[in-house]
Amino acid sequence: MDVTTIAWTVLLLPLIVAVSILLGLKRWSGLASLVSTGSAFITLFLCIRLAGGGDDLEAASFSWINMGDALQIDIGLVLDDLSRGMMLIVTSIGFLVHLFSLAYMKDDAGKSRYFAGLSLFMFSMTGIVLADNFIMMFIFWELVGVSSYILIGHWFEKDSAADAAKKAFLTNRIGDFGFMIGILLVWTLTGSIYFNEIAAAVGGVENAKLLNIAVFCVFCGAIGKSAQLPLHVWLPDAMEGPTPVSALIHAATMVAAGVFMLARVTFLVESAEMAATVIAWIGAITALVAALMALQQNDIKRILAYSTLSQLGYMIMAQGVHHGSDAGMFHLYTHAFFKALLFLGSGAVIYACHHEQDIWKMGGLRKKMPITFITFAIGTAALIAVPFTSGFWSKEAILEAAHHEHLWGPYTLAIIVAFLTPFYMTRLVIVAFFGKNRSDNADHAKEVGPIMWVPLALLAFMAVFSAYDFLTGPLMANGHADIGHLIGHFGLTATLSLTGLVVGVSAAIYFYKGKDKDPISIPAFADRFYIDEIYEKLIAIFQDGASKVCDLLDRYFIDPIVARFPAMTAMTTGSILRIFQMGNVQTYAFMFSIAVVALIVFLIS
Amino acid sequence: MESALTLDHFLIVSGFLFAIGLAGVLVRRNIIVIFMCLELMLSAANLTLVAFSRFNVHEGQPSYEGHVLLFFIITVAAAEVAVGLAIIVALYRSRETTDVGKLNTMKN
Amino acid sequence: MTILEIIVTLPLLAALVIGLGAPARFTALGASVLVLIMSLVTALRFSPSIEGALQNVSSRPLMQMDGFPSLSLSFGLDGISLVMLLLSAIVMVAAVLVSPKESDLKHSPRLFYLSLLLIGGGAIGAFCSTDLFFLYAFHELALIPTFLMIGIFGTGKNRLRTAWTITIYLGVGSLVLLVGLILAVIGLGGSTFNIEELTALASDAPMAAEMQNWVFFLLLVGFGVLVSLFPFHSWAAPAYAEAPAPVAMLHAGVLKKFGLYGLIRVALPFAPAGAEVLLNLVLVLLLGNIIYIGLVTIAQKSLDRMLGYSSVMHMGYIFLGIAASNELGLSGAVLLMFAHGISIALLFAMSGWLREKYGTLEFNKLGGIGKQVPKLGLLFGFAAFASAGLPGFANFAAEVEVFIGAFAGAQDGLGWIQWATIISLWGVVISAVYMLRAYRAIFMGPIPEKLEAPADICWSMRLPLIILLVALTAVGFVPELLNQFIRPAITVLLAAAG
Repeated sequence: MDVTTIAWTVLLLPLIVAVSILLGLKRWSGLASLVSTGSAFITLFLCIRLAGGGDDLEAASFSWINMGDALQIDIGLVLDDLSRGMMLIVTSIGFLVHLFSLAYMKDDAGKSRYFAGLSLFMFSMTGIVLADNFIMMFIFWELVGVSSYILIGHWFEKDSAADAAKKAFLTNRIGDFGFMIGILLVWTLTGSIYFNEIAAAVGGVENAKLLNIAVFCVFCGAIGKSAQLPLHVWLPDAMEGPTPVSALIHAATMVAAGVFMLARVTFLVESAEMAATVIAWIGAITALVAALMALQQNDIKRILAYSTLSQLGYMIMAQGVHHGSDAGMFHLYTHAFFKALLFLGSGAVIYACHHEQDIWKMGGLRKKMPITFITFAIGTAALIAVPFTSGFWSKEAILEAAHHEHLWGPYTLAIIVAFLTPFYMTRLVIVAFFGKNRSDNADHAKEVGPIMWVPLALLAFMAVFSAYDFLTGPLMANGHADIGHLIGHFGLTATLSLTGLVVGVSAAIYFYKGKDKDPISIPAFADRFYIDEIYEKLIAIFQDGASKVCDLLDRYFIDPIVARFPAMTAMTTGSILRIFQMGNVQTYAFMFSIAVVALIVFLIS
Repeated sequence: MESALTLDHFLIVSGFLFAIGLAGVLVRRNIIVIFMCLELMLSAANLTLVAFSRFNVHEGQPSYEGHVLLFFIITVAAAEVAVGLAIIVALYRSRETTDVGKLNTMKN
Repeated sequence: MTILEIIVTLPLLAALVIGLGAPARFTALGASVLVLIMSLVTALRFSPSIEGALQNVSSRPLMQMDGFPSLSLSFGLDGISLVMLLLSAIVMVAAVLVSPKESDLKHSPRLFYLSLLLIGGGAIGAFCSTDLFFLYAFHELALIPTFLMIGIFGTGKNRLRTAWTITIYLGVGSLVLLVGLILAVIGLGGSTFNIEELTALASDAPMAAEMQNWVFFLLLVGFGVLVSLFPFHSWAAPAYAEAPAPVAMLHAGVLKKFGLYGLIRVALPFAPAGAEVLLNLVLVLLLGNIIYIGLVTIAQKSLDRMLGYSSVMHMGYIFLGIAASNELGLSGAVLLMFAHGISIALLFAMSGWLREKYGTLEFNKLGGIGKQVPKLGLLFGFAAFASAGLPGFANFAAEVEVFIGAFAGAQDGLGWIQWATIISLWGVVISAVYMLRAYRAIFMGPIPEKLEAPADICWSMRLPLIILLVALTAVGFVPELLNQFIRPAITVLLAAAG
């Protein structure tokens, strides 16, 4: 198979699987799940072949909308280092999700629907990665939203899941509102929707103000999909979905779409300085706020969700930094592995503790679940950037990039986060794994079986080594662990982040060692700065209030004036004229004769 | 030929006839009387027609078109009377009254 | 007789035959399927080129008098009317299929099917006429059966009142429209009713500017009432809520598009200068449709009224395409007319089924029925997502065309229409809000205790839904299926309008 065929197969195979499950396979759910998993394996295999390198390539395209000179929208694929690397992340994580789900969803009634949703997700994610133009990216962008709606709302008979699915979709829609405006503005400014043509034309754009607005609007899409402030509220709720979904899709791949999109349009971001600064700031603020929220969460999955938010903030920040895009993508890549590891580890813990998610009801799991503990600790080490783990290298790259560009504001925030992350992750590990058992569920916990710990071990390996050349070589052109560079430039950044690590970890040990309940209580952090509540109020006031007002206006103002007024006029006229129709022949005759006389008099005079 | 009768005489008579007929139509309650009064009005119109025709002298000859028209009208009027009386009979059969004051179902 | 004349005559003939005593459902189904097949054949044989925009032309002169416009019963298709014909034919088949069986109808089933055919036939006739007189007359033909259907077969206590409201409302709209059309014909010389000739006249010897403003204004109001343009929309939601499902499908899906078709076919080419002058008015009104009605839609508490309002709201996007009045915007508008027609028919068909089986459409009385009727839940999900403008469905492709079309020519800075577009993009969020809220309320969450599960949709119900859905997705994946017809027609139209 040549490269073009492979690329198209990778894109279309999951769609074919999803459609065939929908059309008929759904009756045999076992077969459906196997077919879906098989297709994920095939796409992974093909992507490994693609990753072998080669020239940048625009695969042949299919004309979607053809409006002559006015507009041409093609569905075309682009294969370069960026999309190849991202495809490998997407398909490998995707394959893991499928595999894990085979066991996890074995007895679920909606298994076929679940796997159809997974395949649809693979299709849409692949589409985003391979898209060669904005509209195509937007198409798959929306489809990712749909598949995430289907997957989060998988247990739709639960109110919480149904609400979370709706919330995720609508929040993303708000981001997409900006994204679409951005696309339209970019089209207006450069006359094209194709990335390569925009790249060529963007230098000639004179209206710098509008360009900045356009780039910011495009970034709105990423705010929604990558759950940045202020549209971050959907991601923690999305944990209502089945664990493989919340763990892998909403931690490793789907939310990375926003980062990927910005990396794809680096040339645009770089040309709009103001917008880039805003991007860096929003990323940094998100990283900080989410880390603060994570400090006081007690649900193990929620802590990880907020840490995901925080790490996404890092990646977005990198996209706003000049020459930082590669660092951001590098972090995306390492993060995908160690965050997947942490989520699956938490899944194993939850599973072992009989669906207990509160860390204060765990404790002492280190001895009962040694393998899970070790892998979880490795994941934590990578997340808190212990030197020589993968997370260390990628985070270092982002901080270095911000430092190099003298973006002091975001840089400072990012450094603060580097103090906070070790603190809350160490808190999680100490509370959940050390100390004594604090509930019966934790008391009865047993080590999970090999089906669950083998993926953990594999991911633990990746969490440590994924940053090194022998693994990144084919993937990331510009991101890899560079020890020589580190030693040569051991400067402010490295010092600060290592200090943060040491301070964070020791502070957490000091505060939480041997404690049975949280010694620190900061309600604002625990209640996520009340943002969800504020949003609910805002929605109640502005959207529901406005819609009620409009409804009343429609009922009692517009309808009466536009519809009833003419009707009333007709009715009144009728009832007045009816007085003269008394049904007596002689009266009619009398009026008739009067009228005739009047007419004659009128005509004669 | 010397005649005391002028067009005015005919018109006055015709006017009286018409006025009597109209008054009858408007004030009498019995539908048959009303009908007869209607005929009276028709006759008044006919008289006017003939009178105008007779006195429209052209080159010493009166115009006879009016007379001809009159015959048509009488013929049609005869038919009309037949129809009208038939309706009245039918009306009396169903309502058992000839009082127009009571024939006002159109009102409701 | 050309095939087009047969297509136009067949539903009317079938209605006549049903009136004379033929088996109602069978005849109606046969006629509508035949119309669909012939329409598809016509589409296949249609050559999408700019030369000879009108095809399948036929003309039977009826009246040639000095001092009076010449009148002929003439039909013909260009790309726009072909798309509308396809829409009508598809929705008509689906509407007949979802209609209740004769034995399930309390009142005269013959009248039911007869009226249905007249509504569909009237719409088809209006779309295929190339003569202004018959364009108007065919549309009027469909109004009376709509009244009968809502008044006799409608649901709800107020159905008679609603039937009167819609009839008087649309009647008044038609009257305004008639005045506008007469004014236009007189203004263009008063020599013919033929639309093509009138269009040529409008570009060769345009009306005076003042006259154009009046003509366009009257046509905008007249057609606007028929399309439920803000603020002339209040007839739509109650009418659709209380009409029987097939009528709501045909009216919201097909007949309503007549007003938009008229704006594109008549108002724009006849009075282009007037359109430019009144552009800002149109923009304000369409924002009323999108944002204001969108908010009203969110406030609705039952599915039928929500769908009624949503169909009003989506008209705003079509108006946006018309307001752009360039190749892209107008093509998008026509495509959106098709897409919206199919998707709203799909939704009304399913809401009718739900009302029949559950006895209510109120959100707080339903819930979790995705578990009870999973197949319907799936199909409804598709339709809801289509209506909310998700990719993969025709609505999305059309909306993209409309938005980009409205943004064309903004290189030198954003004009009013671009700002209107940006505001109306928020409507995309609004429509997702109410669609997902409805889906959440009806199909997701726990099932209320008293709600008994009916049997899931059977094949006779599934078939029409699948027909509609296939049309929607096919065009969504390959918009060129219809764009190839629309594009040349729009080019000709714009060239004529100068």
